[in-house]
Amino acid sequence: MWEVMFWPVVACVLLPWLLVYLGIHVVQRGIIFIDIAMAQMASLGICVAVLLRLDLESPATFAIALGFTLVGAALFSFTGKRESKVPQEAVIGISYVVAAAAAVLLLSRAAEGDEEIKNMLVGNILLVTPGDVWKCFALFALVGAFHFAFRKKFVPASFDREAACQQGLRVRLWDFLFYASFGFVVTGFVRIAGVLLIFTYLIVPAVCGIHLARSFRNRLLIGWALSLVGGVAGLFLSFQFDLPSGAAIVCTFGALLLLVALGAGLASRKSGG
Amino acid sequence: MKIRSIPIALAIASAFLPSAHAKLNVVATLPDYAAVAREIGGGKVEVTALAKPTEDPHFVDARPSFVVKLRTADVLIEGGAELEAGWLPPLLQNARNAKIERGKPGRVVASEGIRLLDVPATLSRAAGDVHASGNPHFMVDPIIAKAVAQHIAQAFAGLDPANAAGYQANYAKFEASIDAKLQDWGRALLPFKGQPLAAYHDSWVYFAHRFGFTIETFLEPKPGIPPSPSHLAEVIGRMKKEHVRAILVEPFQNRKIAEKVASSTGAHVVDAAQFPGAIPNTDGYVAHIDGLVARVVAALK
Repeated sequence: MWEVMFWPVVACVLLPWLLVYLGIHVVQRGIIFIDIAMAQMASLGICVAVLLRLDLESPATFAIALGFTLVGAALFSFTGKRESKVPQEAVIGISYVVAAAAAVLLLSRAAEGDEEIKNMLVGNILLVTPGDVWKCFALFALVGAFHFAFRKKFVPASFDREAACQQGLRVRLWDFLFYASFGFVVTGFVRIAGVLLIFTYLIVPAVCGIHLARSFRNRLLIGWALSLVGGVAGLFLSFQFDLPSGAAIVCTFGALLLLVALGAGLASRKSGG
Repeated sequence: MKIRSIPIALAIASAFLPSAHAKLNVVATLPDYAAVAREIGGGKVEVTALAKPTEDPHFVDARPSFVVKLRTADVLIEGGAELEAGWLPPLLQNARNAKIERGKPGRVVASEGIRLLDVPATLSRAAGDVHASGNPHFMVDPIIAKAVAQHIAQAFAGLDPANAAGYQANYAKFEASIDAKLQDWGRALLPFKGQPLAAYHDSWVYFAHRFGFTIETFLEPKPGIPPSPSHLAEVIGRMKKEHVRAILVEPFQNRKIAEKVASSTGAHVVDAAQFPGAIPNTDGYVAHIDGLVARVVAALK
């Protein structure tokens, strides 16, 4: 088992911490589908690169994909007003469908099998290589350090926007930096693990943490513990029953969330009655 | 040099080959190679196919058992004409099995020695998902399947000399069964010779070439590109003009689109399969081609 599952397990141990942290921000901001919208922006960039006949693995392609995610970041930080009749989630949803449809249009002209691009964008955690893991880990370490250094800015921008604005924090700027760094992380991880898995790692541990704890620190610790258990258990089940690894991890997380919700429900009934 | 010592030397040498004791562990990327490998190997080999017969051979979802199987394989049979290029290389990279590396006797590349059709003169993304070495869907031609079977028999014999005679005998049997059937197939399809057919994807050129059809109308505007409305309108016009009466669709392709085209042209949708076992009771290679021929005949009658 270890010969096959070693690097997937390493990936599931070394990489999710940053996603869990960003997930707590994302759930707090109520912008659940931002990761999918960002990933779609990146893939739209890659479609443009295809149209320009660039090599899919070239730095130029990467730069274009990144450029599109930055455009997305700018868009979302601009539309995330404090008081608006249009919820941010609507803007995200619209960007997702428009980016997805634009990709279809571009590909119909580029005449490239869209599956090929999907393959390139969406990784499979089972087939992760040591190089992938270390590259992604280095990227995450950089982004994580950036967020840690400026935690006094990022945390209020997500959790107490009113107060942050009153204290004169340039919320728009920190929103942009948040979305931009988020774009880096999403584009990096999606190539290793795929869209399903990135969404799960962002949302499920964060939701469990928010359910069980109040402070940011405890939520983060619960989320990290859960992400480790879910990832490793999911990979184990995937091996034991020969299931596609990403989907097995996602369903394991779903089951864990259910257990946590049931457990918390029972506990509150006991304490209540 | 004493002649008598050669068999002894061979026996000693083969005693050191693990394959002399255990069954050869054979992994085939696709079910058609697996079906042929089973015929050749008989009871002396253990064959597993990675892709399911109902799966699109261009895109196969990896599961942990794939890596385990490749890790312990003595032989890997692949097409080698880029059909599996999207999913096999990362699996092999993870399996790290020296026995099945490229160039090793354990790596059987089925397209080697086969003259592939439709080799593009120039490669450009503008032509769609085109394979540089030619059309890789060659196993639906029974005569090419014979050549692949011979290739597999030679590889098995080289890796497992103790059973070489058995592999050769199985190959002879396979060859004879194809030769006997070729006349039946030819006779069944003869009344329709020269008729144009349509297909969802360009995976039937070898079948058409062998049995005297032309299959030049495809629902996909370019290989791997989903059908667009204007292209379908063009296809319907051409099918009416050329009196195309059958559209070949595989289990993993969009049958609804084919049905729509069929309903506006009066053609029949044929549930065609590239792979043995995709349609019930077609597990062996001969049964597979039998079924394919019967379904094409039924649609054209």
